[in-house]
Amino acid sequence: MVSWALTLRDQTFIWSAPVALAAMGGFTSERSGIINIALEGKMLTAACVGFICSLYTPNPYLALLAAIGASTALSLFHWLLTQKYRLDHIISGMAINAIAAGATDYLYNKFAGASTSGIVLLSMKFFWAFAYSVPLLLFLYVRYTRGGLRLFAVGNDPAKSRLLGLQPLRVRLCGLLATGVFTGVAGAMLFTNAGQFTLGMTAGKGFIALAALIIGGWRPIPALLASLGFGFCQALQLQLQGTSIFGANLPAEVYSSLPYIITVVALAGFLGRGKAPAGLGKL
Amino acid sequence: MPARQPLAWLKEGWALWVLVAGSVLVVYGALLLVQAPPRQTGIDLVVGSLGSAHAISGTLNEVTPLLISGIAVFLGLKAGLFNIGVEGQFTIGALAATLVALRLPGPVGMVGAVIAGMAAGGLIALPAGAIKAYRGGHEVITTIMLNNVVGLIATALVAGPLKAPNAESPETSSISASSHLPDLIHIGNLEINGGLLIGVLVAIGLAVWLRRGVTGFELRAAGANPTAARFAGINQKLVILKAMTWSGAIGGLAGAVQVLGSQYYFTPDLSSGYGFDALGVALIAGGSPIGLIPSASLFGILHKGGTSIQLMDQVPKGIMYVVLGLLIVIAAAARYRKKLVSDG
Repeated sequence: MVSWALTLRDQTFIWSAPVALAAMGGFTSERSGIINIALEGKMLTAACVGFICSLYTPNPYLALLAAIGASTALSLFHWLLTQKYRLDHIISGMAINAIAAGATDYLYNKFAGASTSGIVLLSMKFFWAFAYSVPLLLFLYVRYTRGGLRLFAVGNDPAKSRLLGLQPLRVRLCGLLATGVFTGVAGAMLFTNAGQFTLGMTAGKGFIALAALIIGGWRPIPALLASLGFGFCQALQLQLQGTSIFGANLPAEVYSSLPYIITVVALAGFLGRGKAPAGLGKL
Repeated sequence: MPARQPLAWLKEGWALWVLVAGSVLVVYGALLLVQAPPRQTGIDLVVGSLGSAHAISGTLNEVTPLLISGIAVFLGLKAGLFNIGVEGQFTIGALAATLVALRLPGPVGMVGAVIAGMAAGGLIALPAGAIKAYRGGHEVITTIMLNNVVGLIATALVAGPLKAPNAESPETSSISASSHLPDLIHIGNLEINGGLLIGVLVAIGLAVWLRRGVTGFELRAAGANPTAARFAGINQKLVILKAMTWSGAIGGLAGAVQVLGSQYYFTPDLSSGYGFDALGVALIAGGSPIGLIPSASLFGILHKGGTSIQLMDQVPKGIMYVVLGLLIVIAAAARYRKKLVSDG
């Protein structure tokens, strides 16, 4: 029983780490006013590029940098589309997801043929430490620094903050660059944990991260807790597979679908209503 | 909008051309990266999708689900809704249609299957519409979540109770040939199933309804200017709810048609991304549903041609999704610029 609980705890933390990190990427972007449904694509691209890079170099830090670079490049493109070309945030997000799905398929099929033996990976401890300290640091940052105040100001009312002398485009650029870094590390964590890259390996984690952010009311610590809650559902599913509860042998998929159903209920406002940044999606 | 917004440069054409040129460079560079001659790849793409009766049949077979799913997204967009859930509506519509067609053979079963598919698609979209209309929850997130739920339900059902007795992979039994959609054209290698006709008719019907119907006008009004619509006495919440539900029903129709006209059995990955491509189809279509027909054809050509360049030039099919994503971006940017210019 004790070991069972330990596994449950470990699986929760392992599964939640990349989701929490991606949610923080969503936080910096959505708080600056950019709706970010492209977390999925950014994470996937980072995982793919990072993995391919680690096949060709023995230096795992280089692979991590490549992963961060890939998702940051996508984030820059995202900034260009939403801020310079003034595209709808949902449309540009979906386009980036499509490009990411295509580009990873393309790159993986062409460059990931090499054997994964001898591949040098970073320790997962590094990733976990990073993933679970970022929400706390972000909380302190937005609470106690001028930069955090600016981030909130621009996200809540871009027009007024412009009158106060802030430059929304610049603040949003910083927000999206942070998204690039966080989703990049999250992507690197995914391929490091699995030991390889597989197509579509994010499997909706980017969307779940966004859901965690929303349930957490666009605040870092609650979003982290929501990610852990989702991770717990996932771990429960792994543990309960094939065991019968109250005599019924429920398929594992029932537990897997819990996070999604909880998210829908939360969006209906039945789990307390978080306040979205008022300027979300505005110019 | 404040006066200091630097939008002048967007009104000039070059900003758009930078985007187009950048996209072309990316795709060209990607082809060079894998040492595929871009010219030859382009030729193979066209030949592979339009070069023979067989190729054209294959392309049109892709166009049908893209067109009907595209109509679903288009209907939502007209009411100001992003229905990202077409993927799930497609899947559950196909599942419901398969279940009915397996129990009811013949033309009755076919009609029943279509109705069941539409009902299932509409029902799965209904909560997203209701949450958007009455609780203010963003439809993009709810529909994505419902996609995942549908995928998991379908996987669980097809792996368990609905699995065909002798099947190795998770799939249902095949439906009876008597409930297949009749072929529209079948001359030699040129095979076009009736689903394409359904798609074209629904597109035309939607165009007429949006232009002439009172409810069609209400839908457009609610999408174009919610405040004005409210003052005109339109029950905007109800319009949103209905639009989302009908959008889902058409998504379900796409799934039903795919089963009845082309696949004849159900697997959880039946849709293979049609629902997501549908967003691109709808965005590139422009203002009228009739535009969905060329737009779905373009996507169909890229899909079918993408498969053949993978075989002939060893260019992974993923490049087609990159092209589609860039096309969405360019179409959206072009539309925004047009609006800027016409607003003065």
